[in-house]
Parts: sequence; structure tokens; C-alpha cells
Amino acid sequence: MTNGPDELRPARLLIVRGMTIMAAESVPVGVRAPKMRKTLLGYVPIVSPFYDYHPVTRLAMYIFFGVAPVFIDLPEVNVVLLLITIGLLLWGKVDLRRLRIYLPLIATVAMFMFTMVFIFPGQDPSYTPIRIGPATIYYQPVFFTFASYWRLMAMLFGTILYFSTNRERDMLVALRAIRLPFIASYVVGLSIRAAGMFMEDFRTIREAEQARGLDTSAMKLSDQAKLYMMYLIPLFSIALRRADEISNALFARGYTLTGQVEGGGRRSDYILNQYQMTTKDWGWIVIFMALFVAAAVAQYGFGLFRLVNSPLNIYLRSLLGIP
Amino acid sequence: MAAVTSSMNTVWDVEPGESRKPGIVHVVMLALFTGIGIVVGTFGSLAVPLGFVSAFWPGQAVQSIGAIWFGWWGGIAAALFPLISNSLSGSAPLPVSIMYLPGNLLQGMVAAWAFRYFKTDPSLKTQKDWWVWIIFGAVLPNLIGAAWGSTTLVAFGLVQQAAQFTTFLGWFIGNTIPTVILGSLVLKFVSPLVVKTKAFCKGLWA
Repeated sequence: MTNGPDELRPARLLIVRGMTIMAAESVPVGVRAPKMRKTLLGYVPIVSPFYDYHPVTRLAMYIFFGVAPVFIDLPEVNVVLLLITIGLLLWGKVDLRRLRIYLPLIATVAMFMFTMVFIFPGQDPSYTPIRIGPATIYYQPVFFTFASYWRLMAMLFGTILYFSTNRERDMLVALRAIRLPFIASYVVGLSIRAAGMFMEDFRTIREAEQARGLDTSAMKLSDQAKLYMMYLIPLFSIALRRADEISNALFARGYTLTGQVEGGGRRSDYILNQYQMTTKDWGWIVIFMALFVAAAVAQYGFGLFRLVNSPLNIYLRSLLGIP
Repeated sequence: MAAVTSSMNTVWDVEPGESRKPGIVHVVMLALFTGIGIVVGTFGSLAVPLGFVSAFWPGQAVQSIGAIWFGWWGGIAAALFPLISNSLSGSAPLPVSIMYLPGNLLQGMVAAWAFRYFKTDPSLKTQKDWWVWIIFGAVLPNLIGAAWGSTTLVAFGLVQQAAQFTTFLGWFIGNTIPTVILGSLVLKFVSPLVVKTKAFCKGLWA
């Protein structure tokens, strides 16, 4: 038996960390296998070395990369963290082209921040004016804005790294593993799932209207805006009906408001059994938490990451003759 | 002849013999409304971004509406969903979103409290209903939210103190206009359905 171009090779199922992944062999010959899968939170790679780590490890990584830059004023350090994050995205086999949706935001944030500091530099008499043609900018607030921008970018990419390498199931596992109360992790899980259902319903309503001959491209922008707003009415109605159905289903299965098991006892958690912590997970969690605490202590205890210690700031001040 | 007395029953009045208490349906509604807010908030943040503020953020309408219909359950959803929608859209990192929490909670609960205190019909039937909605559902929550949010941005060094008022103004306008338009539509047409459901909260919890 030979495989023709239209025959599918048998699919190989991989079970990695409780995730069933369809391997690339299930696509026809000559067709490029998809590398990314769409989730409710974004696109995640189908295969990634990140999946060898427990979701709690990835959460700890997020806490470090997504939050620690709050403690760091030095733009040099934040740029390094940013580059490390981009490196991790590449190592994790994330398709960076999918991140293009963030480009407008990255650009507008920069424009917003620097425009604001140009128009509203502040009134501090110690600020050093720098004339650039007809315009005057002030060094201290501009450098502060520059540093703040890179801190923001470091945190943003830390968040992008997390959502690009974790499915909603992984988020849920991480929350359950850190012993978040069942009711809280249930709410988070259902919220994320509801967001996906909401988008699906929206798509269905739009397709139904298009099947009835609605041509949105021929409509004025204001009419399109009104149309989108009107979609929310059936969507809210669907949500109400769904709430009834889900709550009846939960009640029928014995779930209570508190999430406690009737009669006491520990709730069995099937999903957690699919993920095992290994030594390297514990190692990395300790490293990330230690780095996080170290960053906080270094900044608030010793002022290590303050702007006055920035080599670039020191260099520019010497160049401009600012004491 | 017996004196004729009239007592107007509002949707907020508990009927004789009626027993209302929090249940699973409220938790489910909290989760579903958080999901709705995630989608609406993410769309708004990505639609017309102006740096940290959006020129069009209909998420605040979801905050007010959710709290009006479902009391504290809607208020909790109002506080929670921006944590995720801000992360998904990249409009605010997690630490900033966490600091936004009190502002977001108030953006929902001000309307919840006002509608119950003034016995305002969520279907916006009378002129008084409309005034309460616009003042306590749109204007006041966004004044609070914009003040809190712009102060948070200054505290994190993302905006200069001197630019705080401009940021506040952009935030307020970008939130209030979609709230008035979108929120009015949804309250007018969907409230008659909601008030008949068991998820609807006559009090703040049930």
C-alpha cells in the first residue's frame, strides 16, 4: 500500500503533560503542518519545550518576567529582560508573526508617552532644557519616560510570553495546583471558556445575517458601529439562557455554592493528576521566586535599580554637562 | 368608602413569601459576565488605542450593567475581567491592572447601589430612570475610574504628573460615551428578560 498525495498518514497521538497533541503526520503530503493552535487566549505552539514544565513553573516565570520589572527603573536591565523574553518566545517555538497585533499598541504607547512628556514636561526648575530646533525638551522627564517605556515593554512581553505558551487548561491547572479555592478557579476557567463561547456566538450571528444578504462593507462606518452594538442584545440573551443551563447542570451534579464536597472530604481533582512536578520544576520555581524577591530587595533595600545608577543616564548626563 | 392607597411595586421589591439567596446560578453568571467583559474589554482596548487609554472602551458599560443586574456578583466581574482583557490586549501589565482593581470595582458598584437606592427600573422606562443611569451608571463611575486609573499610571511612572489631567480627560471621555450608547441599548432591551431570571439580584447578593 502506498501513500498518494491525498492520503493521510495515520495520526500519531502524543500525550505530553496531560495534553493530547495530534502530531504533524496527520496532514497530507506536501502540506505544511500547522505549528500554532488558536486558543481562547491567543495562539500557542502545538509543540513547545515549555510543555515539559509544569504550569506552575510557567506561572512562576510569568510572575518574574511580568511583574519584577515594576522594581527595576534601569532601562538597560529591562531591555535585557525584554531580549531574554523574546529569546524564550523563539525557544518556545512561538510564531512571532502572530504578535503583530501588539505592534499598534507598542507604537501608540510610545507616541503617547513621549508626546505627553513633550507637551507636559512639568515645572521643576532643576530640569535641564535641551533645544532641538524650535522645540525644547527637558532631559530628566524625557529620560524618566524612556526608562518607564522599557519597563512597560518588559512587563508587556512577559505577559505575551505567558499567554503565548499556556492554554486556558494550563492556567487552570496552575491555579488549582497553588491551592486557589475551587470556586475561584472554577470562575476563572468558566470565564475564559465563556469568552470563547461569546466570540463563537458573535460569529454565528454575523454569518446568519450575511446569509440573509447583509453586506456590511456597503454600510457607513456609523451604521456598522450601531450594528455591532445591536449584536450585544442577542449575545446577552444567549448568556442568560446559558447561565440557567450551566447552573442546573452543576446542581444536578451535586456542586454547591462553596464548592465543598457534600459530607466533607477532599475533592478529587482529575486534571491535577495529569501533571506531575519534577525536580527541574521545583528548581526553576525556586530560582524565579528568588530572583523576584532579590529584585524587590535590591530596589527597595539598596536602591540598586534606581535611575541614578543607569550607565546610560550617567553617560548622557556627562555628555550634556548635567551634574 | 375605603381609602384607595396605591403602592408602586418596583422590580427591586421582594414579593411576600419570596425567598432570595445566593446560589450557584450567581457564580455562573459572574463567570459568564466576566467572559463577556473580557471580549468587550479586549476589543475596546485594541480598537482605538491612545497609549494607555482607549478612545473607545465599552467595557465600562458591561461593568455598570453587570452590577445593576447582579449586584456584587456583577461588581466582582467588573473588577476581574479587566485583569485578563488588559493582559490580552497589552494595554496594561498585570501589576498596573491589579492596582486598577478598586477603581474597576467602584465603576460597577456605584450604578448597583444607585439603582437600588433610587428604585430605578433597569429597563429605563421613565425620565428619572434615564437620569439615574446617566449620572450614576455612566458619568460618576467614569469620573472615579478615570481619576483612579490616571493616578495609578502616575504612580507607576507611565505618565508624568503634569499630563495626569489630560490622561484623565481622555479616559473619562473614551469610557463614558460608549457606556451611554451601548449601556442604554442593552439595559433598554435586555433588562425585561433579566429581571425575570433567578440570577437577577434584587438585593446586592441575591
